[in-house]
Amino acid sequence: MTGAPPLLVADGVARSFGGRRALAPLRLELRRGEVVGLAGPNGAGKSTLLALLAGALEPTEGQVVRGDGVRVGWVPQRPAHYGRLSAAENLRLFARLEGAPREDADALLRRFDLPEDTRPSAELSVGNRQRLNVALSLLTRPEVLLLDEPSAALDPGRRERLWELVRELGRSGGGVVFATQDLDELDRLADRVLVLRAGECVFEGPAAEWHERAAAFA
Amino acid sequence: MSGVLALLRKDLLVLRRSPLLLGALVAYPLLIAALVGLVAAFASAKPRVAFVDRDGIPPTLELAGREYDVRGTIERVAEEVELVRLGAPEARRQLEAGRVVAVVTVPEGFVADLRGMTRSPTLLLETTRGGLAPRVTQQVQALVYALNRELQDAYVEANVASVELLREGGRIAFLGTEVEVLGLQGAARLLEGLPDEPEVLRLREFVRTADAALTQTDRALRVTANPIALERAPERGRTWALSAQVQAYGLALTTTFLALLLAAGALAAERDEGTLARLVRGTVGLGRVVAAKVALAAVVAVAVGLALALVFGVVAELGDVPGGQPWERLPLLALGLVLAGAAVGAIGTFLGAAAGDARTASLLAVLVVLPVVFVGLVPREVAPAAGWISDALPFAHAVRLFDAALYAAEPWRGVAAEAAWLAALALVFGLAARVASRRLLG
Repeated sequence: MTGAPPLLVADGVARSFGGRRALAPLRLELRRGEVVGLAGPNGAGKSTLLALLAGALEPTEGQVVRGDGVRVGWVPQRPAHYGRLSAAENLRLFARLEGAPREDADALLRRFDLPEDTRPSAELSVGNRQRLNVALSLLTRPEVLLLDEPSAALDPGRRERLWELVRELGRSGGGVVFATQDLDELDRLADRVLVLRAGECVFEGPAAEWHERAAAFA
Repeated sequence: MSGVLALLRKDLLVLRRSPLLLGALVAYPLLIAALVGLVAAFASAKPRVAFVDRDGIPPTLELAGREYDVRGTIERVAEEVELVRLGAPEARRQLEAGRVVAVVTVPEGFVADLRGMTRSPTLLLETTRGGLAPRVTQQVQALVYALNRELQDAYVEANVASVELLREGGRIAFLGTEVEVLGLQGAARLLEGLPDEPEVLRLREFVRTADAALTQTDRALRVTANPIALERAPERGRTWALSAQVQAYGLALTTTFLALLLAAGALAAERDEGTLARLVRGTVGLGRVVAAKVALAAVVAVAVGLALALVFGVVAELGDVPGGQPWERLPLLALGLVLAGAAVGAIGTFLGAAAGDARTASLLAVLVVLPVVFVGLVPREVAPAAGWISDALPFAHAVRLFDAALYAAEPWRGVAAEAAWLAALALVFGLAARVASRRLLG
């Protein structure tokens, strides 16, 4: 797989909001079958990097290059869906907007155990809303999945199923970049870890190495 | 295009699920319109005017040999003001306190001047400064005009009676003594009994001519007193509430409120819900999101505008209002509503983009909507700058378009001109909103 072109490249991307630099220039290549973990304290720039990779934000410097025809799914930290629409209506609407078949929306509804009634999604539990958030990112059958602290609101069982999904995508030749505050998750899932602090990348390497360093700091 | 339609459908569904919001959005402009109407009605209510009688006008006054109720006449002709009888000091105090807007004073010697007819009697008028003063002055001038007409009528009646006495003869009281007047007709009868001598014949001819001439005096006197008289025909026009102007303003006001608030709130809500970032990174770009919000404003403007026109029409038909409702013009009105909704909606999306979140956007839209409306109400003749500003905003164009679409005998020219304005404004503000909405992704 190492000879294959990367799925996604962040080439010197940086982002400022007004005069404040949220992310210093950074390079990241995501290769097929790779799972990259992003770690760092709140405000370190993890969400900004994921939004830049997703195309939801435009970089103020550098560029994000997607591999030819690579589809990217994005799970933002805060669930992004219409609160007055039901889970099914949200999935069907975004399926239509993304050009995905309605059957895929209905399949994701069942796969993520989402309520099929007409209850507005704003009235769903936090866990259900987060599962809807993840389901929406899978509508386009992405090869790259970008997850921003997706497990925070999930119970252990659902969390395990989510990580199984991540592993499955890695095994099938896709790529995953996920942000987390949980070192155990990094250990278990990430092939490589990027640690950000105040918008700067302060570490890049295997998760185990970071784990040792973090333990040493502690 | 399908992305815009899908988002529009979603927004309409969301709106349908927010009946309280929709009800408030429709009721609010109607409430404002009603309040503005009430203020306008109050503005035309009778102002309170003090009446100070320094001369002690008697209940009845003999003018030109006739009993005449001057005080009653003043009160009767003062239809446009509320006359309050006050003493001079109290009138001054109330004028200074603003409790009366003017003081009309009957000075000493007024009745003597009226009786003597050697010089015009004078009424004194004092008003407050600014505000209602010009209107009150106008109304007191109207009062004096009406009073003069009443007095002229009395004088004319008295003069006509004197002429009749001169023609037909009779008795008249003069300096406390009853005097017998022969009259021209009595003189003619006497002359008939005299021989047909040349002098008698000349006298007969003179009396006949004089009598014939004086026969015309009645009309001549009345015409001279009132060269032009204004007669009010029975009311045949529409009621004020169903007039073309009120319908046009009502529609424009409702459309402006609805479209501005909806578009501003709807765009900002996409950011609040986090869906904007999800939309723009997919197949739906920012431009399409903005277009969907402008379309939402246009669709709601058409739906609510036509519903209002329908209500106006039903009331006009049920009330048998002259002219009825121009039902055949509704398609033209619908076109105007689309353009007005789109132009106002484009401003709304710009505000939504500038505000950043739905709460601020709604507040900003409410703050902006009233100046947008009221600057369109200021006549260009009063403040040219207001005219230029309202040209750059959709409200005044919408009013003119609705008025032309519904009631102009030849609507096409007016409709086309205003439609072009609204389309251009929709485009300009839509592009501005597209540029400004980039900050929502920050």
